[in-house]
Amino acid sequence: MSLFVQQVILGLMLGGVYVAVAIGFSLVWGVLNIVNLAHGALVVVGMYATWFLFTHAGIDPFLTLPLDAVVLFAIGYLVQRGLINRVIRAPLFFTLLLTFGINLVLINLFLLWFKADFRSVTTSYSGAGLNVGAVTIPYIRLAALVIAMLLAGAVGFFMNRTRTGFAIQAVGADKDAAQLVGIDLRHVYALTFAVGAACAGVAGGLLSTVQAISPTAGEPYTLQAFVVVILGGLGRVSATVVGGLLFGLIEVLAQSQVPGLGAGWSNAIAFAVLVLVLVLRPQGLLGRLA
Amino acid sequence: MAEVLLEVRGLTAGYGAGPVLHGVDLDFQAGELLALIGANGAGKSTLLGVLSGLVPPTSGSILFAGRNLTGARPERVVRAGIAHVPQGRRLFATMTVRQNLVLGAYLRRDREVQSDIDRVVGYFPALGDKLQRVAGTLSGGEQQMVAIGRGLMGRPRLLMIDEPSLGLAPKVVETVIEVCQSINRDGVSVLLVEQDVVVALEAADRGYVLENGRIALSGSARELQDDPAVRKAYLGV
Repeated sequence: MSLFVQQVILGLMLGGVYVAVAIGFSLVWGVLNIVNLAHGALVVVGMYATWFLFTHAGIDPFLTLPLDAVVLFAIGYLVQRGLINRVIRAPLFFTLLLTFGINLVLINLFLLWFKADFRSVTTSYSGAGLNVGAVTIPYIRLAALVIAMLLAGAVGFFMNRTRTGFAIQAVGADKDAAQLVGIDLRHVYALTFAVGAACAGVAGGLLSTVQAISPTAGEPYTLQAFVVVILGGLGRVSATVVGGLLFGLIEVLAQSQVPGLGAGWSNAIAFAVLVLVLVLRPQGLLGRLA
Repeated sequence: MAEVLLEVRGLTAGYGAGPVLHGVDLDFQAGELLALIGANGAGKSTLLGVLSGLVPPTSGSILFAGRNLTGARPERVVRAGIAHVPQGRRLFATMTVRQNLVLGAYLRRDREVQSDIDRVVGYFPALGDKLQRVAGTLSGGEQQMVAIGRGLMGRPRLLMIDEPSLGLAPKVVETVIEVCQSINRDGVSVLLVEQDVVVALEAADRGYVLENGRIALSGSARELQDDPAVRKAYLGV
C-alpha cells in the first residue's frame, strides 16, 4: 500500500513538472494557434541559464527562476515579433515548419556554446527528502510541484484579471474584433509568445534540478506538453493543470504497476494516452468544443 | 458649413482577386447620420474595413478630422476616434458583457470606464441586468446592442455600424436604429451601413449608394427615397 502511495506522490510531482512545461505551450497554441515545436528548446534555455547562474555565480537554482523567466520573456518577444509574426497569417503548416527550424537552430547553438556534455545542478539538499512513514517525498520535486502550481496560478491571474490578459484572450477569440477595439495585434502576439517562453524558462529552471542538462534534453518535453494539452483541453490554465497532473500520474503508475512496462516505455505511454483521448474525448477533459 | 469630419478620395482596395472598391469618394460632415446603402457584395463592408484599418487600401486617401489615416493600423484609427461595429456583431463570445464593454475602452487610461458602461446601459436598458452574462448566450438583438456599446466605449467621434439589422426581428431593428439616432443626437457622427434601405433612409440625414465598388448616387435621405432608380432597385416599387 505504501508503495502505491509513494507512486501516486511521485506521479503528482512529475505531473507538476509537466504542468510547468505545458502552460506556456498551451497558451501559445490556444491564442496564436501555433504548435510551438521549439518549446522544448526554450525549456533547455532555462536549464542552461539556471546551470550557468548556479555554477558560475553560486546562485541557488530556485532563486534563478525569475531570471530565467525574464531572459526567456525577452527572447520570446523578439522571436515572435521578428520571425513568427511574418508567417502568422499563413496556414498552420508554415508556423510548424518555422518553429521546427527555430528548434534546430537553438539546439545547434547549445552544442556550439555548451558542447554535447551532460551537465547537472546538484545542491546540498539535492538528495534530501521528507519521510512520512514508509513514504519519501523528495524536497526538490516537492518544490517543483509547488512552484508549478504557483506558476499556473500566476498565469491564470494574468489572463483573467489583467488588462493585458483580457487583450490576449480577445485576440484568441477574434483577431479582427480585437483590432477594432484598438489592440495592437503584433504586440499582443509577441507578448503572448513571450509569456509562453517565460513559462518554458521557469520549467527549464525547475527541470535542471532533477535531470541532466544537454542540448537535446528538451525534446521529450515538446511531445509531453502536446499530450498534456490534448489530455486537459485547450484554452484554459485549469485544464493544463489537470492534464499535467493526470499525465504524470498515468506515466508513473503505468510504469510501476503494469507488469512488463518500465522507464523505457514513457513515449509509448504518452502516445497511447494521446490516441485514446483523441478517440474518446477529442476536446480534452476540460476543453470546450470549438 | 459644418466641419468636415471625414474626407475619402479615390479609395481603391481589394483582396488579391481584383479590386472591390474602385475610387470611392465620400464626404462626411461632423454630426451627421449618414447611410451607406447598396446590394450584397457592393463593397460596403470592404469600405468600412479600409476605413478602420483592417484592409489596406491600394490607392486613395482617408482624411479624418484633419489627420491622414490612409493605410493606418487599426489601433491608430481607434485612437483617432473612429469605432467600427462589425457585421455579425463579432463579440468576444466566451467573455461577459461587461468584459466586452471594458475591452471596448482598451485604449483609454482614464477612470471613467464605469460611468461609460452606465451610459451604454442608458442607451440599451435591456442590457442592465445582463452585464455578467456570457456574451455568446444573449439573443441576436442583445448582442447587437453589446456590439454597439463596445464601439461607444472607445468614445468615438465617428461610429460606423455595419448591418445592425441583419437577422433581427423588425421590432428589435427599430429599437437599435432609434438608439443610433439618439447616439447621433448626443454628438457622435454615425455611419450606418445597411442593406435594409427603408430603415436606413428613414433614420439618416444623407445617404450614399454604393454599386459595384463605386458611389453611384448620393444626396439627402429624402432625395434618395424619392429617386426613381433607388426606388426601383432597392425599394421594389
